[in-house]
Order: sequence, then C-alpha cells, then structure tokens
Amino acid sequence: MASLILHTPRGDTAFSVEEGALLADVLLAHGHPTDRPCGGIGRCGKCRVRATGALSALTDGERTCLSAEDLARSVRLACCTRVLGDVQVWMDGAVSHQIRTDGIAREVEPDPLFSALGAAVDIGTTTLAAQLYDTQGRQATAAAPNSQGRYGADVISRIGRALEGEAAALAACIREDVSRLLTELCRRAGRRVEDIDALVITGNTAMLYLLTGESVAPLAAAPFRIEERYGRTVTAGELGLCCRSDVPVYLPRCMAAFVGADITTAQLASGLCDTDATSLLADIGTNGELTLWHKGALTVCSTAAGPAFEAANLSCGMQGVDGAIDRVWIEEGRLCIHTIGDRPAAGICGSGVADLVACLLRQGRLDETGYLEEEQVTLAPGVTFTQEDVRQVQLAKSAIRSGIETLLHQHGLSYEQVDRFAIAGGFGSYVSLGSAAAMGLIPPALADRCHSIGNAALAGAAMLLCSRPLLADSVAVADGATSMELATNSYFIEQYMEQMMF
Amino acid sequence: MEILNELSLSLQKGNIKAVQELVQQAIDGGIEPRTILDEGLLAGMSVVGEKFKKNEVYVPQVLIAARAMSIGAGMLKPLLADGDATAAGKVCIGTVKGDQHDIGKNLVKMMLEGKGLEVIDLGVNVEPERFVQVAKDEGCQIICMSALLTTTMSVMEDVVKAAEAAGIRDQVKIMVGGAPVTNAYCEKIGADVYTADAASAADAALELLANQ
Repeated sequence: MASLILHTPRGDTAFSVEEGALLADVLLAHGHPTDRPCGGIGRCGKCRVRATGALSALTDGERTCLSAEDLARSVRLACCTRVLGDVQVWMDGAVSHQIRTDGIAREVEPDPLFSALGAAVDIGTTTLAAQLYDTQGRQATAAAPNSQGRYGADVISRIGRALEGEAAALAACIREDVSRLLTELCRRAGRRVEDIDALVITGNTAMLYLLTGESVAPLAAAPFRIEERYGRTVTAGELGLCCRSDVPVYLPRCMAAFVGADITTAQLASGLCDTDATSLLADIGTNGELTLWHKGALTVCSTAAGPAFEAANLSCGMQGVDGAIDRVWIEEGRLCIHTIGDRPAAGICGSGVADLVACLLRQGRLDETGYLEEEQVTLAPGVTFTQEDVRQVQLAKSAIRSGIETLLHQHGLSYEQVDRFAIAGGFGSYVSLGSAAAMGLIPPALADRCHSIGNAALAGAAMLLCSRPLLADSVAVADGATSMELATNSYFIEQYMEQMMF
Repeated sequence: MEILNELSLSLQKGNIKAVQELVQQAIDGGIEPRTILDEGLLAGMSVVGEKFKKNEVYVPQVLIAARAMSIGAGMLKPLLADGDATAAGKVCIGTVKGDQHDIGKNLVKMMLEGKGLEVIDLGVNVEPERFVQVAKDEGCQIICMSALLTTTMSVMEDVVKAAEAAGIRDQVKIMVGGAPVTNAYCEKIGADVYTADAASAADAALELLANQ
C-alpha cells in the first residue's frame, strides 16, 4: 500500500492507496469526485489536479490537454494518472453547486399520492433535484450532482457504458444518488425517511431506463424506437431506494427516446396545454428538447446541442459553482464579470458564456461568421475564451435555434403567431434572455414573449405527487405528442448550417 | 494568372455569381479547363480548407464555398478532355449504421472533392457490407466513415472486418472520423487513418493515394 496526502481548501487528509489505482477513482472513493464530462478518456481536461510523487507517466491525452505551464505546476489529469507509490495531491476546486430546484408550479386540486409524506425527484443528466411534501405543502428542497457524471457528461456516453456491461453500476450510482437526496430532504425537514409513503421520479428517458435497469439498447442507435414508456407505478424496493420497500414510485410517461418524462412533467407545469394559445417550450441542456403546442396538438423534438451551455467542452468552462463567471457585461467599453459566490474567477459557466458572446458581438470583436478578431479573450487571470470555444457555442446555439425554426416551419407558423415561449431547465433559468436573443439562441423576434419557468420538470413531478387526477392528464399529453425526427429532416439540416452564423 | 486568382478569391467568399462569370471568362479567354479547375477552383477550395483547419472559417463558409465550387466544376466538366477528367482517386463515404448524422460526413465529402477526388456518397445509416460492396464494385481506393455517437462508433470495426472478409482489405485504405473517434480507437479497430477535421481528412486521403 502507498500513502496519499490530499490537500484541499478544507484541510489536509492522508489515506492509504492500492498501488496502481487510478487517481480519479481514489479521490472519488474518498469523497472528492472530479468532473469527468468526457467519461474519463483524458480528453476534456476537467479532472485536473496538482500531483507529485510516484505517479504513472504522462499519457498522450495529458500531453494534448495540458500546457507547458500546467506541466511545470505538476498538473495532471486524475482520469489518466495512476498512483504507483507515495504521492501528494492538491485539489483547489470549488465545492458548492448551484442547482435550480424551484420551478413555477400551478395551483392544483389537492388529492395527493401520499398520505403522510411524499417526494418528487427530477433526475437530470447533470444534476438531481427533489422536493418533499406533506399535507401542509412543501417541506424541503435539495439538489445534488448526478454522480453518473464520471461515466461521461452526456447521455450517449452513459448509454455506451451501460451497453459495455456497466448498466448495473450506473443503476447503483443513480439509486444511491436518489436515496442520498431523499435522506437529505428528510434531514432538512426534520422528518424520517421511513415516513415517506409515495414518490414521483421524473427524468429523461435514458435516466429512467438506467434507474429501473431497463435495457438501454433501443436508445443507442437509430431508429430509436422505445417500447417501455412508463406512466406507471413501481415500488421503492424494486429500485433499491432507501425508503420502505413497499412505497409506490410513480414514473411519468415518456414521449420518445429523447423526449422523456421530464418534458412531460415540464409541459404539465408550464400549463401551456391548458390554453388555446400557440406556444413553444424549450428545455436547454446538453440535449435540448423542444415542444410546440398548436391548435390542440403537441409536437416534440430533441436536438443534440452538446455540452457548451453547461460549458463542459469549453477551454475554461465549468459548472455553475463557486468561482464560475455567470455574468458578463460592458462598462465604458470594457468587459466586466461577476462570479458565483464572489470568488476569484476559476472559469465560466453557461449563462456567462451567453453574456460574453453577446458582448463580443456588440463590441465587434466577434463577427457574424464566428471569427474572433483576436487570439483569445482574457476575462480574468487564467480564464480565457478562445476561437475553438466560439465554434463549440456556434454548434450548440445552432442545434437549438434550428430545432425551433424547424418546428415552426413544419407548422407553417411565423414568429408573430407564437403567443408564448417558455424556457425550462437550469441554463434557461440563469441565462439572460437578452443575451440569448443577441446571440440568436432564441429568435430575437420572440424575446418579448419569452419567460423562464425554472426547473419545470421537477415542478410538474411535484404537481403529480400532489394531485392524482393529473396522472391521467399527463399520460394523455404524452400520448398525444407527435415526435419529430430532426436528424433526417432536410429543413433542419439546412437551418443547422445557416444558424451557425450569429 | 490574374483571372484565376480572382476566381479563387470569389470561391473563397462563396460568391457563386462571380464564380460563374469568371469561369466563363476564363473559358472564353482560351485557358485550359484543367488549369481553370486546378489553379482557380481547387486552389480556392484549398485555401478554405487551410483556414478551416486553423479555425479561421467555419462550417457555413466551407459549405458556401463548396457550393460555388461544384457549380464552377459543373461548367468545366463537359470541356475536360477524357484524360484530364480523371480524378486523382476514388473514395466512398458514409455515416455508419445506426447513425443518422449527415453534416460532418458531407463536409469531408466536399473537402475530398475540393482536392479533386471522386466521391461516392453512401449517405447515412450505412450497413458495413455496403461500404465494402461499393468499394469493391467501384474500385475505390479509400473507404471513409463517420460516426457521431459513442454507441454507433463500434460499427466502424465491423466495416474493417467486412473488408477483411471480402478479401479487399489490402486494396483499400480505411479512414475514420467523428466526434467520439480518436486516433487510439482508429488503431484499435485496425483502420488506417483518423483525422480530427474535414480538411485534414482530405490532406490525409491525398497522402494515402500518393503512397499507393
């Protein structure tokens, strides 16, 4: 056994480590997970730590990811580095995550699924959020990162890992996350987990498949046809959750392989289907889901934006945690920044990226083709935005915008005919709608009808938890939805090129 | 020649109208069609490819330039003598089975055509056997394949195996690309070349042909 001394802002700890162990695994096992959006293949450089001592040689991936300056500072990628003997490791990363747990939920007729205590959970690809209810109303909210993140940031990587024989590990991962979140909810409310007697768990189709142990093979390759769509109740015991094993768990109906139960519940919470108005709903994340409610019919589609709005594939991108630049604006011709927690800037998160791009366009430092007039933009010491970053943003922005354009085109609708545009999800809650319009992520003509509805997936799940009649309504909404395939849609492909321009 | 330089610049800007006019002027001026193609159109496309590699221009600009090139090349085609019309090589390209992503593959196709290669586009969701069959029937020197999903990338290995099974593996080079693909993966499945972007793919294809 070798010894590892770990230095963190919270203090130093030492533990013994099996020789040959992967540094990322060791850190995770001791409660210090590193970001692994690329799934631990040494590509994204997000698991950087400083490390010295008996370590494995630099890999090709590390040589590509790390600068000469990094190497001089003993920076290594935890996913590529093995502990061969005694080592010291420094982690200076941020700790507290900013996750949206509130959403605008409508008033519902009270007829709860629970009798004493119930919880609603939204399993997002990146984060989980949950709310605890009793007959008096909401008692607590809690959120946590999805610890499947170490298998890859996007759903496709995780589906790949599940098919490579790690499905059970992925299931265990998410079940532990849900259990931990339920325990945390109860701790906050001063209640006991054993008193929970009903759960609603929403999430995208892949997350629910991984949770229930359903084979993800249909989600791995075209034609993406799914048999299991839920809209039914299982038990906590079947899912191996920490509450009583006979507790019913309602899993809302999924609409399609890449338009899941989370969109069904978000649609419910938005209330858009309750009116005759023509409306759009967008949940903007690594996978962007879009819906159009028009003349009593719902059309849905999903578009792969990539993780640019979660900033995972940007050179200085980071999640919305302490030290992330979340706002950028211009004052007297100069860029000004704000960071979460007012900490020294460590990187930039999605809302900061949208502001920054909007500012650079306004200043003429970025042209309409996405060409950056300068080598790179420096926002703070060590935090830069490069030409390659702009390209990633262009791809992401175009994927979402082209999806919106295709939905409208398919129904022969002009912007003027859209009455409402609701934006759900974490990024959608924090992004400035002005910046989103300036960079063309949303059509500028629709900006005045846009509003953010927060974590609508969770809000909708909570509505189901509190009102049994809505279960049937939500199934009807999901079953009535027509799923539109974008990858093979020629109008989408044409738009996808065009909308890469700013 | 000034006019060819102008043609190259117009192509780089994707100005289709100017490209058409300049090609016509060059033909009327008695310049060899092959020269117009090489020193005007292909030269312009080559500049676009270099800029794309350096990230100075992006997908939309490559596409409009490629559109201009194909229109210019279409005007020259009937005028090219038989010997002159022969392409530098023949490639079949497609996105693998289970994957419907078209755009990256199309970019590579345009870049290959921009280097004067003949490209047979098999489209998306292509069965492994089809790559091999077409390569065999059409006498392609290169099979190019793309995958955008980690979950469909493994089909690339099936294509390599299918080429082996058909006994043509030593006659074709196999090139791979797409977001999840890496050089290490290329080596692992026994393909020949991985490139990170479309312009590099075209350069690599030329190099493969030169070494044959």
